[in-house]
Amino acid sequence: MAAAGSVTVALHVAEVLETIVSGCLGPEGRQVLCTKPTGEVLLSRDGGRLLKALHLEHPVARVMVACVSSHLRKTGDGAKTFIIFLCHLLRGLREITDKEKDYFIFENIQTCGRHWKNCCQWKFISQALLTFQTQILDYIMDHYLSRHFLSIFSSCSKERTLCRSSLEMLLGAYFCGRVGRNNHNLISQLMCDYVFKCTACESRFEEVLEIVDDCFVELKVGVTGLPVSDSRIIAGLVLQRDFSVYCPADGDIRIAIVTETIQPLFSVSGSEFILNSEAQFQTSQLWITERTKAIVKHLQSQNVKLLLSTVKQPDLVIYCAGLNGISVVECLSSEELSLIQRVIGLAPFTLPEASSQYELSHTALVEFCKPLILRSKRYVHLGLMSTCSFTPHCVVLCGPVQGLIEQHEDALHGAFKMLRQVFKDLDLNYVTQTSDQNCTSGPCIYENSRENNELPKIVNSSIQRSYQDTVVKSKGELAKTQTNLKVCSNLIVPGVKLEKNVLCSGPKVAVTDSYQTEETLRCSSPNKGTIMDDHEPYIESNSANSTTENTRREISYGNLQVTKLARKDSMLSLRYKSLEMHTSQSYYFSSIPAGCVLPVGGNFEILLHYYLLNYAKKCQQSEQTMVSRIIANALLGVPRILYKSKKGNYSFPQVYVRALQTLQTNQPMISNQTGLESVAGKYQLLTSVLQCLTNILTVDLVISIERQPQEICDQDSEEEL
Amino acid sequence: MSRLEAKKPSICRREPLTGERAGASLAALRGLLTSCYGPAGRLKQLHNGRGGPVATTSHSAALLAGLSVSHPVLKVLTAAVRNHVACFSDGGLFTAILCCNLVENVQRLGLTPTTVIRLNKHLLSLCTRYLKSEVCACRIPVDFGSTQILLSLVRSILTSKPACMLIAKEIDHISTLILKAFLLTIPENAQEHIILGKSIIVPLKGQRVIDSAVLPGILIEVSEVQLMKILPIKKSDSFKVAVFCVSLSGDLSDTGEGTLLVSYGVSLENAALDQLFNLGKQLVSDHVDLVLCQKVIHPSLKQFLRTHQIIAVDRIGVSLMEPLSKVTGTQPIGSLGSISPSSYGTVKDLCIAKFGCKHFFHLIPNKATVCSLLLCNRNDTAWDELKLTCQTALHALQLTVKEPYVLLGGGCTETHLVAYIRHKTRNEPESVLRDERCSQTELQLITEAFCSALESLAGSLEHDGGEVLTDGKYGHFWSVQANLPSAVNWPDLPSRCGCGLYSSQEELSWSFLRSARHPFPPQTCLSHEAKGSANTLTLDCFTAKLSGLQVAVETASLILDLSCVIEDTN
Repeated sequence: MAAAGSVTVALHVAEVLETIVSGCLGPEGRQVLCTKPTGEVLLSRDGGRLLKALHLEHPVARVMVACVSSHLRKTGDGAKTFIIFLCHLLRGLREITDKEKDYFIFENIQTCGRHWKNCCQWKFISQALLTFQTQILDYIMDHYLSRHFLSIFSSCSKERTLCRSSLEMLLGAYFCGRVGRNNHNLISQLMCDYVFKCTACESRFEEVLEIVDDCFVELKVGVTGLPVSDSRIIAGLVLQRDFSVYCPADGDIRIAIVTETIQPLFSVSGSEFILNSEAQFQTSQLWITERTKAIVKHLQSQNVKLLLSTVKQPDLVIYCAGLNGISVVECLSSEELSLIQRVIGLAPFTLPEASSQYELSHTALVEFCKPLILRSKRYVHLGLMSTCSFTPHCVVLCGPVQGLIEQHEDALHGAFKMLRQVFKDLDLNYVTQTSDQNCTSGPCIYENSRENNELPKIVNSSIQRSYQDTVVKSKGELAKTQTNLKVCSNLIVPGVKLEKNVLCSGPKVAVTDSYQTEETLRCSSPNKGTIMDDHEPYIESNSANSTTENTRREISYGNLQVTKLARKDSMLSLRYKSLEMHTSQSYYFSSIPAGCVLPVGGNFEILLHYYLLNYAKKCQQSEQTMVSRIIANALLGVPRILYKSKKGNYSFPQVYVRALQTLQTNQPMISNQTGLESVAGKYQLLTSVLQCLTNILTVDLVISIERQPQEICDQDSEEEL
Repeated sequence: MSRLEAKKPSICRREPLTGERAGASLAALRGLLTSCYGPAGRLKQLHNGRGGPVATTSHSAALLAGLSVSHPVLKVLTAAVRNHVACFSDGGLFTAILCCNLVENVQRLGLTPTTVIRLNKHLLSLCTRYLKSEVCACRIPVDFGSTQILLSLVRSILTSKPACMLIAKEIDHISTLILKAFLLTIPENAQEHIILGKSIIVPLKGQRVIDSAVLPGILIEVSEVQLMKILPIKKSDSFKVAVFCVSLSGDLSDTGEGTLLVSYGVSLENAALDQLFNLGKQLVSDHVDLVLCQKVIHPSLKQFLRTHQIIAVDRIGVSLMEPLSKVTGTQPIGSLGSISPSSYGTVKDLCIAKFGCKHFFHLIPNKATVCSLLLCNRNDTAWDELKLTCQTALHALQLTVKEPYVLLGGGCTETHLVAYIRHKTRNEPESVLRDERCSQTELQLITEAFCSALESLAGSLEHDGGEVLTDGKYGHFWSVQANLPSAVNWPDLPSRCGCGLYSSQEELSWSFLRSARHPFPPQTCLSHEAKGSANTLTLDCFTAKLSGLQVAVETASLILDLSCVIEDTN
């Protein structure tokens, strides 16, 4: 059976998913209860988990879920935003194509069926999306957005040090979207404490995050039946099993690790042991006993007080260890073993061949080793002396039901993943090509590219359309805001309104100042971008940049008229062109520096929306303009949901208009939100969504196979046989 | 070969609480649980249509384990309650009913979940702060110098479980036994960390309850056949004991992954048996009096030991090993080879006792914190309930040692808390309104919902159609009989409040529970004479109740926060 893949179908699927997911988005989001066939219940606000729990059958939905989970593997955050953004993009695409139906149709394809025509059209759009993602997005991020970035590090000195308050803000915003609303403060505080307690050396926190992310399962203990507020952090490592034998010891405690049974066996695999007489059997048993005793004795002489074993040891070993005052913990998992090895750098000790001649060097000191009782269950509590920058601590998570504890565990694990991403540099590379140049030198598809002086009208109309879109979408809003929006759609900002806004932001002046200073600090970083071509004059490009800013300022002061803007724009592109005379193409390699953050509440989306629209205005290539506009409008979907329940001055249209005004007058953005979110995460989310959309658009036919999935055989190995 | 099958898509339902089905099943569960609550609670009979025993119970653990709820929201609720009971043993019904009441009350209001959750959390913290504070008037510090309060606590727990089928005299007897058993587990020379011992409950069904007893040490049940083989015990002041955790049956231990080739004519069984006899000889030469084995002892070895005047008992089972090593003071022996002399333990005395129709081998320790509680009851189901109740009481006592407070029972804590919350939110709402960003009306509505949830919880103690009153001074709980002749001046009738702390001599302004009343400040700080008069109080375990309150409110918030349910139908 085959079904046509189309945007309409994809949109239907995405809309269904959106209704489920949007209920959990943001600080006002609610919980979802998942029941498993085994009768367990799981509470979740994690988008990825919800999508998996739905067990979707629809092929397009499965593609989406696969894309989401691959995105989550990378970043650990943003599944809900992914779906919402994708849904809005699809919606935008359908609207556009409904209007400009025959825009992309070429003569030679017109003979084919309608469906194939559509597919071809989608293919073009997906290619445009791909070019956008690979070229324009990075350019805009680097040139425009980067001036708004804040840093999570406490100073701009070379040494990166974590700033507690900004980490708290970052985590607070993360947990707002992940755990129930009566617990997120507690959990984010817990996580913050945990990070700082585990970090022995301030500057090497990345190593700590890596270890915690890798071994999180071993570093948490879940306790059901207690209130969530009893969750806490305890120093040391907790192993989720009891001692096989416990001998209280204090003072110098050394530990040793074994990976095989200490008691020798009659025969190892692949060998034969031939018994000829009963006496032989008895002597060999005697020898085994004696040898076991000797090894344990030796351990004792080395002052070993605790033996960690990955396998189950025979009764004899336990008995001997007990006699010699050695505590034993058996059946450690390989993950626990590797964590211990990472922390204290201790290799398992190998059993010697001959009992007399060996030196046991593989022991390490521990601070303490004692049983820990949590809710009448016994655990082993080890105070490891760390040799790396990670000081082991464990999180004890309490909750009335297992499902809630699992939610908190997932959220914490995801938060560590997210933090790791925040502290990584993200490379951006793009080619500066003005749109003019692209038109002349690039493979031009649309020969009917319009004249330069025709552009202003188009841009003007497109902008008006986009604004009117927002008016249409916020139909339910008050009439007053509608009129406000209409005023804005004419791009004439009434002075009275501006003043009022300034008055509104009066009490937040202090905040603004601090942002401003941080911003200036940050502003130095984008210039780090290195230029590959030798003869490309760095200063010149920079000056071009500054002129861009100047013109922009002029525009904003001159109470912008669209025609004026367009003229400036064409001037600007001319200047770019003159630059391009010297070098045909210039590759830029820049990066979003580690620790870049923006305030939450749709700030990133609004900023990018604004700059994309600006870009679309300048861009003369119609397909890029269209793609940029679609993406810019789709970006607003997330903040719209975030502000849905807010009223009055904090409703979405108000916030949006205010943000645009501050951007146009080049003032720093003011946010009434206290949280922060990672820029790199948002950027990656955007690219993942665009990739997913390209994926969906390029498929023209879905063929369902009624066969058991077959195992993928490795061709090479078969040939070897 | 494994069969791969495509998973069926899940069912997704939005707003799980608003449906009629959810409301009905929540009400059904609440009705079921409220009818079990308290000393006058009605019993439930659980039986499986396909066979198996019939259980008569009013204990939340037994009840919820037997019930199979289908609605996902109720699954969360019952899971939370069962986890609470697994933690604290006590207060399961309290938690479950409070949670149901809260969800139902708040659901009726139709406010946004955000406000509800925030305010509920605030009210909860108001309660916990008050209960933990010094001025709290429904909390009594435990005086370990006398058994008065502890005995009252145990008795209250026993009376609240009517399915144990005990009469007053039996309740007295059993509560004394439980307290005695608990005191036996406390080590004599207490250091910084007190490690409590263990009381083992030994079943003895079909006997009179009065025959129950507490014995120090361990009782090991032996069959009559085994008993005949056990020799008469000689008199001595201490006995040397060897406790084995390895099998003494002469089986071959783990030989490794390789193959073991045995030549013709070589009998490994004989070799193993030889080894056992060597072990036996060593035991004889070490003058061991008693050999206990977790697993099986070979009959020949048993015979050998008997001829050498050594008593051997095998098949003890793993559950008794830990108390055994405590009683004898050694680690179990895990070797068949030479045994170091240090691994023998001692007991003070051993004897054979007969209780009912069962024979026991009784080990009496020198000074160990292990005791056995022989529990008798008339029939199986009553015995099961009594056992659960005894475990609850023992656990409650342990928790009380950790946090030396008890709460007033009999509904008085709840009504007192209600009076406190009403007074607090009415008189000092400013701080709340500022911190929680909500309106005065919202605060009043939620407070009313919270308070009426607590009140109807207290009110569900009354099952016989009586009226429930509360006074205007202490905010305690008073119940009066139903169908009183109208001529009688009914407010004079209640003689004592629910917990038994106050009598009605004083001038108290009565009002019906759940009726509109002017908020009043309940008297805080328990007076000394009140503490002194604590003769037959009804008391609750402090830790369990406090945690139950927290769990109930947290679970209710969790349920109210649900926006959608995804049911996996595979």
